[in-house]
Amino acid sequence: MSAVGPAALDRIFTALADPGRRAFVERLAAGPASVKELAAPTGIRLPSALKHLRVLEEGGIVVSAKSGRTRTYAISPTAFGPVSDWIAARRAVMNAAFDRLEAALAEFPEEKDE
Amino acid sequence: MIVDIVHTSFVVQRVFSASPRHTFRFFCEPELKARWNGCHTDWRVLEETFDFRVGGGEVKRWRTLEGKEQTFHSHYLDIVPDARIVYAYEMSFGGTRLSASLVTLTLEEMQRGARMTWTEQVAILSGGEKAAEQRAWGTEEGLDVMIDLAQREGVTEH
Repeated sequence: MSAVGPAALDRIFTALADPGRRAFVERLAAGPASVKELAAPTGIRLPSALKHLRVLEEGGIVVSAKSGRTRTYAISPTAFGPVSDWIAARRAVMNAAFDRLEAALAEFPEEKDE
Repeated sequence: MIVDIVHTSFVVQRVFSASPRHTFRFFCEPELKARWNGCHTDWRVLEETFDFRVGGGEVKRWRTLEGKEQTFHSHYLDIVPDARIVYAYEMSFGGTRLSASLVTLTLEEMQRGARMTWTEQVAILSGGEKAAEQRAWGTEEGLDVMIDLAQREGVTEH
């Protein structure tokens, strides 16, 4: 862990400690997105979404760029080092999918379909 | 632009509360797979095919809200019912291929469920040029543990 100082760890941990913010990171793992695109599926209102995105940006997890009137967010290429960043993003997406699988298994148990 | 390709691999292990036989159905039956595998309900589906057999595969194409095309293509290489699926897949965004992977998914019988092991060997095709700055694996693992902790904390919230 020597490459990342305790202050950086605190910021990263804070940034990822909120389920809403993790949902944004999960979405951004699939590609860059605007605030509107990030907020719409989660039901989070725009001002609140912007606040969360600011925390993620301060934590070094995401970066943003303005083109025209739209601000686009993306996973920071240096968030965790490019490779572990990629893997962390993939893991987040997959673990969320496997959470849904566990829920689906519970909803449709074995007895009913034999 | 020529970029370096980064090769890496990672493993995700999960224990599910259903038997391997039942869990396997959620990977091979379209209706059951759709119960958990679908996401991004805000994206428009342009193409969706699913052919679960060795030699077959899955195609998914979406239009994201910003108008870019996101694609997923997979090709099944090996299937052992209730126990193993091996497949190759690629992901692209806006016409750029992001990655190409080999996934080996195994299901093992547990006393009260199934242990799934997902091993993904990946060639990261986009963004790999920065890999020279890659930090030591120890750091990456530390961060992975931290993200897992953050996620677990999230899980206990609901």
